[in-house]
Amino acid sequence: MAEKEKKTIEIRGFLHLDKYLRKKFGTIPLIHKIEEAIKGAELAKILEIPLEEIEVIFVNGFVQALDHIIHPGDRVAFLPPGCPGPYRIALGFYGKNQNNEANFKIKRNTDYALDEI
Amino acid sequence: MNKFIRVDMTSLKVTIGEVPEKYVSLGGRALTSNFVADEVKPTCHPLGRNNKLIFAPGLLSGTSAPNSGRISVGAKSPLTGTIKESNSGGSFSQKMARMGIKALVIEGMPKDDKFYVLKIDMNGVSIDEAPAEILGGTGNYEAIKVLNAKYGDKVGIALAGPAGEYRLPTANISFKDPEGNIRSAGRGGLGAVMGSKKVKAIVLDDTGAGSVPIADPEKFKAASKVFAKALLDHPVSGQSLAAYGTDVLINILNEAGGLPANNFTAGRIEHNDNISGETLNATISERRGDGKVSHGCHPGCVIRCSQWYPDKQGKYITSGFEYETIWGLGANAAIKDLDDIAYIDRAMDDVGVDSIETAVAVATAMDGGLLPWGDGKAVLDAVKQIAVPTPLGRIIGGGTAVVGKVCGLYRTPVVKDQGIPAYDPRPIKGIGLTYATTPMGADHTAGYCISGNILKVGANMDPLKKDGQIEYARAMQIGTAAVDSTGMCLFVYFGIADNPEGYQALIDMINAQYGWSLTASDVDELGKSVLKVERAFNKAAGFTNAHDRLPEFFEYEPCPPHNVVWDFTPDEIDEVFNF
Repeated sequence: MAEKEKKTIEIRGFLHLDKYLRKKFGTIPLIHKIEEAIKGAELAKILEIPLEEIEVIFVNGFVQALDHIIHPGDRVAFLPPGCPGPYRIALGFYGKNQNNEANFKIKRNTDYALDEI
Repeated sequence: MNKFIRVDMTSLKVTIGEVPEKYVSLGGRALTSNFVADEVKPTCHPLGRNNKLIFAPGLLSGTSAPNSGRISVGAKSPLTGTIKESNSGGSFSQKMARMGIKALVIEGMPKDDKFYVLKIDMNGVSIDEAPAEILGGTGNYEAIKVLNAKYGDKVGIALAGPAGEYRLPTANISFKDPEGNIRSAGRGGLGAVMGSKKVKAIVLDDTGAGSVPIADPEKFKAASKVFAKALLDHPVSGQSLAAYGTDVLINILNEAGGLPANNFTAGRIEHNDNISGETLNATISERRGDGKVSHGCHPGCVIRCSQWYPDKQGKYITSGFEYETIWGLGANAAIKDLDDIAYIDRAMDDVGVDSIETAVAVATAMDGGLLPWGDGKAVLDAVKQIAVPTPLGRIIGGGTAVVGKVCGLYRTPVVKDQGIPAYDPRPIKGIGLTYATTPMGADHTAGYCISGNILKVGANMDPLKKDGQIEYARAMQIGTAAVDSTGMCLFVYFGIADNPEGYQALIDMINAQYGWSLTASDVDELGKSVLKVERAFNKAAGFTNAHDRLPEFFEYEPCPPHNVVWDFTPDEIDEVFNF
C-alpha cells in the first residue's frame, strides 16, 4: 500500500480548471500515476493544461512556481490567475509567479471564456 | 455635497447646516472616524445617549466612477467598545451624494419607547412614527416591502432589523439593494446603535436630486475610463469574481491549510467541494430560475461579485452569498449542505445580524455544546429565534465573545470581542497581525489594499514565516483606510495593485471631481491619519497595546495540516503601528 501511494499524486484544479479536470478525467481529486519526480510545467503538459492558464501551483499546501519539482505522494493543485484578495501577497504568490513564463498577467482580452480550453 | 444633517432623537429636531470646514475634504471612513473622534465621548456607553451614529458617502460616491457606491457608517461599537466604521453596498450612498448630503448624524435618544422612520427628501427631513407592521420582530425583507409601499419603490432604505430593535451586539444595518434585496454594513453592531436611538429605518427619496458636480468633467471621464478598464482587464476583478464570487476562496484557502475548521481546530476540510465557489457557480448555472451567477450590489458596479442563489425549484433564496459566510457555516461550523447555508444566510439578513459574527458565534456555540456540530437545521432555527428573541437567540445574537463566556470556553476566536474571520492567522501570519492591531477588532477587510512598495515586500513573503509580515500588515491597513474613504469597493484593489495606471486613475478621478491635486503620497498620508485618529479614540476609551493580541490558544494549539502556532511577540506586534 505504501509503495502504491508513493507512485501516485493527488491533483486538483481551481476556478475553471476544476470544471476542466472533472470533464476530462471524471473526478476531483484526480489520482495520477508518476514513476519519478516531475516539474509542475511538465505535469501541466501531460494534463493538457495550457501554461498561460496557471499562475501558481500548490504542492502540499504551499504556493510554488511552475518549475517546482513534484514527487510521488504529493498533493498538487493548479491555480489559474484569479485568486482574489491580499491573500495573493500573504500566501506568497508574488514570490513565485514573477519569473515564470506562465506568470500572472493582466489580460487585455476581456472576451476570455471559461470553456476556451 | 454641501449638507450636513443632524437629527437629535432626544428633541426630535433636525438641523441641516453647512459642512464644517474640517470635514469638507473628507468622505467615507475618513469622515465617519474623524467625526466620531471629535464628537463622541470615548468612554460613553455605545447604547447610551452620548453615542452618535453617522452615515457618509465616499468622496466619489454618486459619480459615474465604477464601484464607488459604498456607504460608510460610524459610531462607537457595542460589540468591541472601539471606534467602528462599517460599510455597505446598495443605492443609499449614491442617493445621499446626489442629494448633496455629506453626512447624516443621529444623536441623542427619545424619552419614549416609540420607534421612528426618518424620511429624507429634497425638501428636508421628517420624523414619522414607524408603522407597527415593521416592528416587533418583522423581518427585513417584509419591512422593505412595507416601506416601499408607503414611500415608493425607488426610495433608498437603511434598516435596523429585529436584532437592532433588541440592541444585540451582532446587529447590522441593512440596506436595500437595487432589486429590493439586502446588503449590510455588517460588522460591529451598529444596528444596535440605530435601535438604541429608536430609529427603525431611514428612507431616502432622491426625486428631484441633480447630479454630483464635477470640477473637470473631461478629466474625470478620461480617468474613469482608464479605471474601469483596469478593473475589467484584470483576471480577478474582471473575470473570477464575477464567475465564482468571493467563495472562490474556499478551495484556495483550504489548499493552503488556512481555512479555519471546527472552531479553529484545523485549517483544512474534506467536504470543500460541497461549499466551494466552483460548486456555487455550477449549482446556480444548473438550477437557473431566479439564479444569477453574477450580480452587482450597487449601480455602477463592474466587478459583480454578488450572485442570486436559488433553491432546487429555481426560486431566489439569497444574494451576496459571501465566502466568509459560507466558510463560517460550512467549514468552521461543519455544515455540509450549501442549501442549508443559503437559508441561514437569508435568515441572518432577515433578522439583521452580521453574518460573520453570527457564523463564528455559531461554531463557538457548537464547540461549547450549545448547538449540534454541523446541524444546519438547528442553526437556522437558532438564528430565527433572534427575531423573537428567545434566550438562545439572544445568546447567539450576543456574538462570539458572549457565546464563549456562556459556554465556558478558552477557545473563543475574537480580538477586542469581534469574531475572527475566515483566514487562520497561524499559517497566514500577516493577516493575524491585522486582526490583532486594527482599531476595528478582528477584521480581514481592515487590511485589504496596498500602499507604498508592498508588492516588493510581498515578493519575499512566506505565509509561515515572520519576514515582511509587519510591513505587510501596516501597508495594507494604511491603503485600506484610504480606499475606505473614497466610497470605493475594496475589490478595486486588484485593478490598482497590479496596474499602476489604475491606481493613478483613482487619484485622478478624485482630483477631477474636486479640483484638487492629490498625489499617491497624499493618499497614503490620508490612510495613516485615519488610522491614527481611530487609534487615539480607542486609547481614550481605555484600550492599550495589550488589547492588540490574538487569543492565547493560537499560541499553543497547532493548526493542521501545517501544524504551526501563532508566534509573534508583543513587541513585534506593536511594531505594526509604529509609523
